[in-house]
Amino acid sequence: MSTPPTHWTSRFLLAFALLGTLLHGVPAPGSEPVDFAKDVVPLLQKHCLACHNDQVRDGDFSLSRPSDLVDLGYVDTTDPDSSHLLELVTPIDGTAEMPKDGAPLSSGERAVLRSWIAAGAEWDASIRLEPAVAADLDWWSLRPIASPGIPSPGISANGAEHPVDSFLDRQLRQQGLIANAQAEPRVLIRRLTYDLTGLPPTPDQWKQFRRESRQDFDTAWRRLVDRLLATPAFGEKWGQHWLDVARYAETHGYDKDKPRPNAWPYRDYVIDSLNTDKPYAQFVREQVAGDALPNTAPQAIAALGFLAAGPWDFIGHQEVGEGKLDGRIAKHLDRDEMISAVFNVFQSTTIQCAQCHHHKFDPIRMQDYYRLHAVFAAVDRADRVYRGVSRQQRQEQAALESQINRLEQRQRAIADPIDRQIADQTSQIDHRIAELKEVFGATQQPQFGYHSQISQTAAAPKWVQIDLGQARNVREIRLVPAFDPFGGIGAGFGFPVRYRVQASNDAEFGDSVRTLVDATDRDQPNPLTRPVHVVNDGSPFRFVRVTATKLRERTDDYIFALGEIEVIGDDGSNLASRRNVTAKDSIESGPRWGRDNLVDGIFYRELTDDRAMAELRELQRQRVAIESDLRSPEVIEQLESIRAEIRDLRKQLQAFPPGDVVYAVATQFEPSGAFVPTEGAPREIHLLHRGDLRSPGDLMTPGAPPLWNTANERFFDSQDWQERDARKRLADYLVQKDNPLVWRSITNRLWQWTFGQPLVATPNDFGRGGERPTHPELLDYLSARLRDDPNQSLKSIVRLLVTSRAYRRSSEHQPASAAIDQQNTLLWRANRRRLTAEEFRDSLLAISGALDRRRGGPSFRDFVIEKPEHSPHYEYHLHDPRDPKSYRRTVYRFVVRSQPQPMLTTLDCADPSISVPRRDESTTALQALTTWNHRFVATMAERFAEHLRRTAPDSAADQVNLACRLAWGFPPDPMQRDVLLHHLQAYGLASFSRVLFNTNDFVFVD
Amino acid sequence: MQHTMSQSPITGSRRQLLSTLTGSFAALALGDLFARDGVLSGQLHHRPRAKRVVQLFMAGAASHIDTFDHKPYLRQQDGKPWDPGEQVELFQSTPGACFASPWEFRPHGQSAKMLSDIVAPLGDVVDQLAFVHNMVGKTGVHSQGTLLQTTGFNFPGFPSAGSWVSYALGSENENLPAFVVLPDHRGLASNGAKNWAPAFLPADHQGTVIRPGNDPPIADLLRPSNEFVTAESDRAGLAALGQLNQMHADQRRGDDRLAARVRSYELAAAMQLSATDALDVTSEPRHIKDLYGLAADGTTIEDSGVINERAETEYFGRKCLVARRLLERGVRFVQVWSGNDNGFPRRNWDSHGDVKRDHAPLALGMSRGASALIKDLAQRGMLDDTLILWTTEFGRMPCSQGSKGRDHNPFVFTNWLCGGGIKGGTYGQSDHWGFRPLDRSQETTVHDIYATILHLLGIDHTRLSVRHNGIDRRLTDVHGHVLHSMIA
Repeated sequence: MSTPPTHWTSRFLLAFALLGTLLHGVPAPGSEPVDFAKDVVPLLQKHCLACHNDQVRDGDFSLSRPSDLVDLGYVDTTDPDSSHLLELVTPIDGTAEMPKDGAPLSSGERAVLRSWIAAGAEWDASIRLEPAVAADLDWWSLRPIASPGIPSPGISANGAEHPVDSFLDRQLRQQGLIANAQAEPRVLIRRLTYDLTGLPPTPDQWKQFRRESRQDFDTAWRRLVDRLLATPAFGEKWGQHWLDVARYAETHGYDKDKPRPNAWPYRDYVIDSLNTDKPYAQFVREQVAGDALPNTAPQAIAALGFLAAGPWDFIGHQEVGEGKLDGRIAKHLDRDEMISAVFNVFQSTTIQCAQCHHHKFDPIRMQDYYRLHAVFAAVDRADRVYRGVSRQQRQEQAALESQINRLEQRQRAIADPIDRQIADQTSQIDHRIAELKEVFGATQQPQFGYHSQISQTAAAPKWVQIDLGQARNVREIRLVPAFDPFGGIGAGFGFPVRYRVQASNDAEFGDSVRTLVDATDRDQPNPLTRPVHVVNDGSPFRFVRVTATKLRERTDDYIFALGEIEVIGDDGSNLASRRNVTAKDSIESGPRWGRDNLVDGIFYRELTDDRAMAELRELQRQRVAIESDLRSPEVIEQLESIRAEIRDLRKQLQAFPPGDVVYAVATQFEPSGAFVPTEGAPREIHLLHRGDLRSPGDLMTPGAPPLWNTANERFFDSQDWQERDARKRLADYLVQKDNPLVWRSITNRLWQWTFGQPLVATPNDFGRGGERPTHPELLDYLSARLRDDPNQSLKSIVRLLVTSRAYRRSSEHQPASAAIDQQNTLLWRANRRRLTAEEFRDSLLAISGALDRRRGGPSFRDFVIEKPEHSPHYEYHLHDPRDPKSYRRTVYRFVVRSQPQPMLTTLDCADPSISVPRRDESTTALQALTTWNHRFVATMAERFAEHLRRTAPDSAADQVNLACRLAWGFPPDPMQRDVLLHHLQAYGLASFSRVLFNTNDFVFVD
Repeated sequence: MQHTMSQSPITGSRRQLLSTLTGSFAALALGDLFARDGVLSGQLHHRPRAKRVVQLFMAGAASHIDTFDHKPYLRQQDGKPWDPGEQVELFQSTPGACFASPWEFRPHGQSAKMLSDIVAPLGDVVDQLAFVHNMVGKTGVHSQGTLLQTTGFNFPGFPSAGSWVSYALGSENENLPAFVVLPDHRGLASNGAKNWAPAFLPADHQGTVIRPGNDPPIADLLRPSNEFVTAESDRAGLAALGQLNQMHADQRRGDDRLAARVRSYELAAAMQLSATDALDVTSEPRHIKDLYGLAADGTTIEDSGVINERAETEYFGRKCLVARRLLERGVRFVQVWSGNDNGFPRRNWDSHGDVKRDHAPLALGMSRGASALIKDLAQRGMLDDTLILWTTEFGRMPCSQGSKGRDHNPFVFTNWLCGGGIKGGTYGQSDHWGFRPLDRSQETTVHDIYATILHLLGIDHTRLSVRHNGIDRRLTDVHGHVLHSMIA
């Protein structure tokens, strides 16, 4: 924005910010004269200004000022009905031309416009209109966190009142609800163990708890809670909750969906942080700016895996690149993805709405959104070292990498314009060449020719020779270059740079050697597909030898290759045909390469017709002329020397220890294709009108939305800022004590992960588009408690929640309570829930005695990758369900985006391409098919059967009892036992186990 | 005639099927099962013209100017430098010379619509097709282009059109999924399962992948091959499970999910039968198989090497036939793919290297199957309320890449629609190159196409929305206009 807002503008801003959020009535037309400010401005703001203002001038038309309206003839005060403005907004067949993507104006609104035009369309030129911004902070989530007093206890069960219960009970009392009594101990231990660890309680754990609880239930309960919170399984279970919102996966997604083999350190970071009960502010800061904090620990760099956890468009970044619009779109979407993640996850704010216009409901302007783009303007998603390389080494590495980066940029700067010029000038030639090949082209046979061993240096002479059987008169010798169509190597593959051709009657070329051609004193151009003719005007000979004295370069080494050698006799016949070939060395890899291929009469011919061939030669000559004209020897030399420099630098890089790497955000990494690091130099970020890269507006510097009064809106005063500092400022912004969102956001999640339903039903959106809290004071009480706890301990909040009476209620249905609160919003009962996908799988492994409890490290794969070289296909059905390597907890599985694990997906596991704050709990026929027929379930049934047979060998009744204790947490009642025992006896233990794994008693937690 | 499993009596052949089925929920599959409702069931926004949709998706980007969008000017300019009057940034290459289609175009039907020889099989039905030659995309990147056409957004996280339709209308047959995906036999297209994911819609609106000819065609449809599982133990196990789960539910009144879970096993049983029946094309009479171009020895068609016409015809035709059988049985939305993701050798429509080599077999196979599907639906009276959409991620350039290929063209491409209230004709033109829309102020987007499709299904696209992360999300984003002129 260039002009400072006028008095009027700011008044309108404020006034219409409020109007924008409330539905305002439209004055009845005709009743009183239309007032521009009161009647017309609001409807222009509502329908038009988002796209037609001084910044966003869609259709080159702005309604910020009256000038366009008048100058472009949109209003006709003499004949209002024929005003273009009215035509545009008047619907025909229910569709009006304007507003383009919105509801048409009501007839009342059109009447207001009409009256205003008829009255002269008066508009005080000093009034400038801006699109409406919701600017007020008067919304529950944006108000400071209150410190509500704990309500006085009501009817206390056992004297000591619990703050959580005090808040909950008050609302229950107000609604006349009677809460359920405490559930049975066996129900409670199962509930708690699943909620805190994601695993079923073991019979031993149950025995210990039962023993202790007989003496003092509350003490026993607290001790159980402490034991469970202290097991590593807590982090594994709660880590999964976090990974759901963090949209964590181990492949890129999009096209090709390549694996990210180094994503897992972030997963371990999350699990470790929860297990060690890291202070929440630190947990947040590390995930946004772990590399910019003082005394950065290796783990804090792994934390940056958060920003990189979402999908990444390999093609857009690596193949297209920022040189093209599509590549810049990919970068834009990439930053948008990061920003959305930060704000959805930590702030429960839907920042992404402000990409094309100011946020419709919340006080977030486009400027705020693009300031956040500036925060992430220098980072990309890539592997980076987090451990095992010293700081000094890292710096040296970085210096080398940046040299390489600069050299490659120089290379492109030199080569690209020349390539383009060449392409421009040769397009017609190429077209004709293509035509000739189309008509006369020959298909290549696979017998390419002779190929020497590979050499590391160019100056390692190699030779190949032909024995003509006896001394013959020879007219000429033709050396046909090899042609290798693979990998774009093409014509002239391995043709020597310097060489000689000699004749002799001595197979050893010891004496009587005659040199027919000596091209060893200078480099020879590559003849490509053109045979080299060597004329013989001397005496007969038996042996002919070609010696390469300087080999041609392949990618990183050197070889000598030829397609065919023809030795033409006096009568024009080929004397070399099928003769014996010897060589200094050779790679014999049939059918393509071998000594005999040199004399087999099979070699690459471009065209089958001689005249066409002549034309082709001429065209090729012209093409070469154009090329050498545009690509001077100096340029070639320059490029070659750059290449040599890069090779040398890469060698130096290889000397460093590899270190441990994590897939995270980075500014320094090895360039690959068009994907090059910024080295910390931020990309220019502009405000984009309607989110379109083709309409850039003002240049933006880092900042964040002023969602509370003391929020830091602009991070730097000058244009000169460091990338890391920007992310560090954002981290500081997030964990500011005044930030009302961050504490409420995590508290709400902790509540949800404990009670199965959040206090705010939209955990990623606390804005006006989301839901309001069911227990605002309770939420604030807990949020303040977490914020003000010196350890900001998440576990202490969880401990507080699970020690409440509310958590321990039975899940039993009560018609009277349900009549008042069907949804159980006020928690009069516990929420029965289904096992999550991970819990289902982990439980099968655990109760079958198959679970591998090793923690951390690279993920196990329960699929086989096919076609890894291009776009990997993740084939789950090829994986052997008996492979014990896959028997680890599900949180350690390799998470694929494009092809999610079918069994877990059917069981509602999170879609890793989006932040999933709440999972579905669906019940479908496909689920039944999966849990009944899946190979993994069947395999576990066999394992479980084996386990039962070993542990309870004596009787089927024992086996049924044990099985139910393991799977359900309690023994069967007589009716259940009858059914199960009957099936076991008739169909065996494995079939019995399969049934048990599908029972509601197993898959639901009461 | 509509024919669903649940309404017909168990016939002899089905009994036979029951006994031979390896998995046997069969004993539980009793009684009529009622349709699942969608959020708009019984309260559509207006009278629908269509009830179901088939989306034919050409993965890799099919060339409009080699198939449906005839460009005589390009023929005149063939081989000459291409100058569209603006700087053109291509995906892989720098623009080569003008490159006329290697195929002849000939007039077809009453309308004398010009079709390339490689889509000539669609000539018989061309008068019923509504061509949109001024489609525009957002980028020339496959993954984004594919997502844009399948979900309305060019980045992941949004429900597929099929999921939206399933969510809105539900299923007409509870024994089959409402949304079925028939992937290319070679594998999945760019983005894989994201193209039929429900994203933030409930999980049961996910497209169910069916691979006709595979064993099993639906994941976990049949009982596992472990030794301990026999037809008898399977049946008895389900019976025992039903009893146990019923007891569990009875002890816990007031929780619908528990009863629903009991029922889900019954539905699974019904699905086992319905799906097996729906996919069994062997029962089709010979003239129908001939119509779709299916060989007698269909399953042994050689397709390990380069793309070939016989395999394309066979595989695509079979999918079209299966699609018809599914539609007949009440499936709401069928997504049929031709081509999978990129690879070597080429296995989709992404003809950078050689349009002639790849497009001819792909287009001939596709157009035979598509043409057969249209005729078959028509002869069963189903074309009137079945909508067909032919689409792809973007078009291809009028200039050459290398000498025989074409690079991506997100600036213009072609869609066609058919059936379900659509009026044949040509709506929207590209310029004389086939490079951009003829009238750049009049372009058509995927949002317009979906607005129209939803409209024909009785849905106002602006009113089918779900709040997700604070935004009321729609299939048509904040865009989309119903193409009224195309509606009969």
